[in-house]
Amino acid sequence: MSRITTCFYAHLTLVLFLVPWLSLTAQTRTIQGTVKDTFTGQPLAGVSVQVSDQLNSTSTQVDGRYSIEVDDTAVELIFSYLGYDTQRLPLTSSTIDVSMEASSKDLDEVVVVAYGTSRRGNITGSVSTINNKQLENRQVSDISKAFEGQVPGLQSVASSGQPGTGATIRIRGIGSINASADPLYVVDGSPYMGDINAINPNDIQSVSVLKDAASSALYGSRGANGVIIITTKSGHASEKAAINVNFTQGATSRAVKDYEQVTTDEYFMLYWEALRNKNLSSNLTPEQAARNASSTLLTDLNINPYGPDYPQPIGLDGQLAPGAKPLWNDNWADVLQRIGSRTQADLNLSGGGENHTYFISGGYLNENGIAIESGYRRYNIRSNIDAKLRPWLNAGVNFAGSSSLQKYPQSEDSNTANIINFSRLVPSFYPYYKRNPDGSYETDAYDNKIWDFGDYRPSGATPRNNLAASLPLDKNDILRENVSTRAYLEAVLHPALKFRSTYSVDYINANTHDYTNPLYGNSVDRGGTVYKSNVRTVGQTWNNILTFDKQFEDHHLNVLAGHEYYDFHSANISGDRERFVLPGFYEPVAASQLNSFTGSASDYRLLSFLGRAEYNYLNRYHLSASLRTDGSSRFAPESRWGTFWSIGGSWKIAEESFFQDQTLINQLTLRASYGGQGNDNLGTYYAHQGLYTIANNLGKGGTVTNRLPTPDLKWETNLNFNIGLDVAILQNRISLSAEYFNRQSKDLLFTMPLPLSSGYTGYDANIGSMKNTGFDIDLRTIPVRTADFRWNLDVNFSHYRNQITELPTENNEPLDAGNKLLRIGGSIYDFYIPQWAGVNPENGNPLWYLADEDGNRSDETTSVHGDAGRFIQGSSLPKLVGGVNNSFSYKNIDFSALLSFSIGGQILDNDYLMIMHNGNTPGRAWSKEILNRWTPENTETDVPRLTTDNLSWTATSSRFLYSGTYARLKNVSIGYTVPQSILSRIGISSLRVFALAENLFTFYGHKGMDPEQTVNGATYYRYPAIRTISGGLQLGL
Amino acid sequence: MKLTHVYIAIWTTLSLSSCSDILDTAPTDAVVDTEIYKSTENIETVIEGTWRYLNDTYFTYANPGYTAFMRTSDAMGNDVAVTTKYGYRDPYTFNEMINSSAYRVTSLWTLLYKVIDNANNVIHKVDAAEGSDTDKELLKGQAKALRAFCYFNLASFYQFSYQKDKNALTVPIYTEPTTRETKGQPKASLEDIYTLILNDLHDASTLLKDYEREDKYKIDKHVVQGLLARAYLNMGLWTEAAEAAENAKEGYDLMAAGDYEQGFNDVGNVEWIWGHVQTSEQNTASYTFHYLDVSSSGSYYFSFMADPYFKDLFDQRDIRYQLFEWDGEPGREGFLRYKKFKFKSNLIGDIVYMRSAEMWLIAAEGYARAGQTAKATEALNTLRTARNAPLYSAASGELLEEILIERRKELWGEGFALSDIIRTQAPVVRKAFLNSDGTPIQVEITTPDGEVKKVNGQGHRVVNFPDGKPFTANSRYYIFAIPNEEIRRNPSLNNND
Repeated sequence: MSRITTCFYAHLTLVLFLVPWLSLTAQTRTIQGTVKDTFTGQPLAGVSVQVSDQLNSTSTQVDGRYSIEVDDTAVELIFSYLGYDTQRLPLTSSTIDVSMEASSKDLDEVVVVAYGTSRRGNITGSVSTINNKQLENRQVSDISKAFEGQVPGLQSVASSGQPGTGATIRIRGIGSINASADPLYVVDGSPYMGDINAINPNDIQSVSVLKDAASSALYGSRGANGVIIITTKSGHASEKAAINVNFTQGATSRAVKDYEQVTTDEYFMLYWEALRNKNLSSNLTPEQAARNASSTLLTDLNINPYGPDYPQPIGLDGQLAPGAKPLWNDNWADVLQRIGSRTQADLNLSGGGENHTYFISGGYLNENGIAIESGYRRYNIRSNIDAKLRPWLNAGVNFAGSSSLQKYPQSEDSNTANIINFSRLVPSFYPYYKRNPDGSYETDAYDNKIWDFGDYRPSGATPRNNLAASLPLDKNDILRENVSTRAYLEAVLHPALKFRSTYSVDYINANTHDYTNPLYGNSVDRGGTVYKSNVRTVGQTWNNILTFDKQFEDHHLNVLAGHEYYDFHSANISGDRERFVLPGFYEPVAASQLNSFTGSASDYRLLSFLGRAEYNYLNRYHLSASLRTDGSSRFAPESRWGTFWSIGGSWKIAEESFFQDQTLINQLTLRASYGGQGNDNLGTYYAHQGLYTIANNLGKGGTVTNRLPTPDLKWETNLNFNIGLDVAILQNRISLSAEYFNRQSKDLLFTMPLPLSSGYTGYDANIGSMKNTGFDIDLRTIPVRTADFRWNLDVNFSHYRNQITELPTENNEPLDAGNKLLRIGGSIYDFYIPQWAGVNPENGNPLWYLADEDGNRSDETTSVHGDAGRFIQGSSLPKLVGGVNNSFSYKNIDFSALLSFSIGGQILDNDYLMIMHNGNTPGRAWSKEILNRWTPENTETDVPRLTTDNLSWTATSSRFLYSGTYARLKNVSIGYTVPQSILSRIGISSLRVFALAENLFTFYGHKGMDPEQTVNGATYYRYPAIRTISGGLQLGL
Repeated sequence: MKLTHVYIAIWTTLSLSSCSDILDTAPTDAVVDTEIYKSTENIETVIEGTWRYLNDTYFTYANPGYTAFMRTSDAMGNDVAVTTKYGYRDPYTFNEMINSSAYRVTSLWTLLYKVIDNANNVIHKVDAAEGSDTDKELLKGQAKALRAFCYFNLASFYQFSYQKDKNALTVPIYTEPTTRETKGQPKASLEDIYTLILNDLHDASTLLKDYEREDKYKIDKHVVQGLLARAYLNMGLWTEAAEAAENAKEGYDLMAAGDYEQGFNDVGNVEWIWGHVQTSEQNTASYTFHYLDVSSSGSYYFSFMADPYFKDLFDQRDIRYQLFEWDGEPGREGFLRYKKFKFKSNLIGDIVYMRSAEMWLIAAEGYARAGQTAKATEALNTLRTARNAPLYSAASGELLEEILIERRKELWGEGFALSDIIRTQAPVVRKAFLNSDGTPIQVEITTPDGEVKKVNGQGHRVVNFPDGKPFTANSRYYIFAIPNEEIRRNPSLNNND
């Protein structure tokens, strides 16, 4: 290894010294002018103005003005601005005014790419961008939730509505089965190990999504699942600093309603029926069965909401006693859920002088979730400063800090403390305040109502628990501080040669504080409990990049070479205690019994060398190639080095002379790329030795087997092929970008299965391959473009097919993976579960299909779930995902709407099972659908008979697979910009007032289930998506 | 500053950053396998860690380590009327353990075989390690006994009685440490499994003969003898069983009558030969008290209620009879508490694995079945005396029958219910708590407010198999399924079906 390093530096040094440099003295003159937006006529600040092929550059001030010194050799000025077409103008006079077109995806748009920026037309790979306009209206705390429906080929699934949580992102399918399939985030040039939700969406200038090999292979062993590059805003030189204030205030509620439940009357009659049926099957006569059901009903449910007047509310006929009415109906959602609120305020200051620019921002966000005691509060600051120290030396520091408090009561998992589940599972006949038998409230000495913890409730209805009473006294806090800095020094060694050294550090300190009070609820007998943990992570990256960029007449060459070193350290401690001395104390010091204290640390390092060359001829034929070598600490020394590469090319057909005579087609470009990227994120930092977990026993050192040695384990590799066509017609009013991709993952990390009786579930191996093939379509249109009215309609969608092509088993036999089956030709998310065969019309028992000898579905059925065969039942992966974005502006009014959609795919609704029991969980709420249960009169149904025995009918089967198709109006905004004529009188430079809605409507099939679930299609009792409706203003001073 | 300086600066910084061993990292919460087997001191950590794994691993809250085996066995027997609360309501109905896809089925299987592999590693690698021969013998003895204990559980629950058919194929045997090349083994016969168990226990008996343990969770010669007694009893080797039982209980007196109501939560009890210790830090196994403990307010589920007919087996003077109480708490009215198990005050409790009372009963049964009536009667009456129960005489009834009933009474809730039913090839016997006309039997309770009232008594809620048929002997409903995951990954299992 050291040989490689030494060798590399020797070459690098040689290159540096061989570079000649030119004299910097020449005759100069000054060019000045104003840059405006073609469409709005407003001045544009921060537009980069550069003399072609020279060091000289400046940027426009707030009023759009610039002035720049040029010498005799200067030929033209290049005006570029993120999100706008770049213009090259000859130096024909000393005043050059420019109007720039803010266009969607034009070929000259500047986009951020790996280790630099590029013009869209020069990109041979596949890069999609999201600009700040598409982000600024979003009511999300975590930027990853704003991507859905915006980028073709990107699948975003927000599976929790808990404030402060993010979304799962998959780019172009699923690249890995057992290793991570998450993309790499890069912020301001360095891989980001901070919290994604520490980044204020309002600080973001642009987001680039790198989807293919040519664009992401430069990230080597971390680029296989795609790369998301976030670039934050920077300041512009101006006479007067810009001051912008944003404020929004809104309210939150559930985006979709919960499952419908039966009424109290229905519940009592149904449960009576379950008891009666059970008695019948215990060989009692029908009379005895009915009589015992009537008499034991209240014993089982342990409450009589009908009052003492009806000691046996359900009669021997199974009907409600005449006149009986429930004396209360306490919907637990009334006390556990609420209308939440959301407040966001941001202030940013930007400006700069000739040799420096700055962007400083501060933000405040406070979101109270729809579940009580859930919320997220964040403060953040950012300071991005760039300075030109010498004509040949630039430096800059981006500093971002944030502090957040997330109040996160349990809101996933089947745990009884899950607040979402609690309000779903406890029926409304169990009161939340204590009631007398006649239905009136019990009160304490001060006439206050008393919370009912329901000691009497059966275990199906979460006894001894009342989250509405205990949560406000408890704590479920996550305090997080995130500091991210990026500092660079850039030496312009020659107009064509730059050297840039960047150091970045991402630091997170996360402190969890869980406390349960000693007064009420679950922890009374333990005198209250407290758990505290602290996790500190530091990710440091240092890279040194040399860039050569030169136009040789018709040839243009750009070469990049460098190295990168990455070091990640994570350390944690945690402990818990119980038995508080007094109520009102929350910290461990106040609890008398130590239960546990532990801590551990881990290290991960990566050393890399990378290079890229881009060439074009006549700006018409483009070629690019890249290479990166990574050494990863995750693997054994023998197998830790890997090399990743890419090649790409594009042909701008519209630039050809034979194309010049027509006016219809403005752009026509064909692109193709191929290459290999790696994935070393196997889920463990120590993936080679045989390990015994430390499991100390009663004060003595203990260890127990954990993993078998795997000295030959290495990274997964993705081989990516991409071909794309970009077309723009009618003065760029319609532009289409279509891409086809074929992404082959090989050397996939698999757990090579061993029989459980071996003491292991298996061992890690690089066996297996998989491919994702599909297409991305990005269509952008401007149906109307007049002076007053503009309408943009953008549609994007993508489809991919995930297919396994090689498995670790002998003869590629299918491999079982829980509810899924991995098989050649299938996807990794194919459901492999028993197939529901309906309810036996004769006896009301559930039926599943049996398998024949070959494992295929037979026509035989069984009522024993364990005997049922398992079969492929569709996949959780959607067929098509995408979004439709409409935006209008008419005079000073703007309107936009983003609809995202997902078509196809199945979801296994585990949440629903909890309220679909067949009577075996007394006291547990019941879904409306249970009314359709089998009875001798209702034999054609798919809900079985009721009985207190567990018929296992809610065990996993296709019965509870539902379509995952949905469309969601993700975002709607309407705004009014107050005319300049009014504002100038009061000294305000801009003012816009607006209203926003997030997740306004959802169109979907299976009522009650939020259709936005996990990628693998299983629900997990999560916090539902929330709808936010807000109003606000943007003020420029 | 000139550009040349910059070049020098760049060159210097880049040169400094080269090094290769920065890519070598090591975990902080795990030990490399090769390190462990270097010395006997290190190997001892495997014995300790494995014991912790066996006892204090949560698969779910209803499966806290090995205690889940014992609770499942009791839930499937005659005398515990498991309520509908979380935990063991499904094995109680005979729906769960027959279901090869049930989580508990997978958990219990995984638990035992992982312990077996750890034991195999120690047995095979200890000889090559540095350390004294005494240490090696000690470690090997513990590992062999632990392995025998696991195979004994497999033999007891995954096939019918050895005495029914010793050639019945049961579960696979592994005696070598698992490597990446290990293949799934076929099912072995009960005879092969018991041969392995006896060999291991005989070896352990020799290896541990001089070992004086400092904690009761460790395996010493008494524990080994107790395990031997259980194995012989299963195999129908009556005198051997009685003899081993006599050896096992040597030095472990029966507890004083007053100690019986202490809650069966302290390994310090004189009767305990073997048990697992709990601390406020290591307390996973204690979770089992949330099911067993039906009287402490800190208990969650109170699900192991007694069958009211079980109470009728006791004489009123019996100290154990005092533990019965009709529950008057809201939500549990009319259930019959048998307050044998109680949490300690800090909501933990040690787990009893083996008591001298069990050994007296094994001795009694062994002698009785071997025709040594006098010795059998003496053993039975020793225990009865300690419990203030009326002594057995020929007039009381059939001796063996009385011994088996005494086992149910003495060992209630200690994990022997189902294994005894399988072993003795008896059917489960349960009867609903109803009058002859089918109406619920009323019982008198006292509510927490002091009100005395009559409510329906709560007994067994499941009195036949899930298919509606009556309980029979040697039913497949009693046998634990081999998990689906095992069947699918181990093709050898099917070869000998």
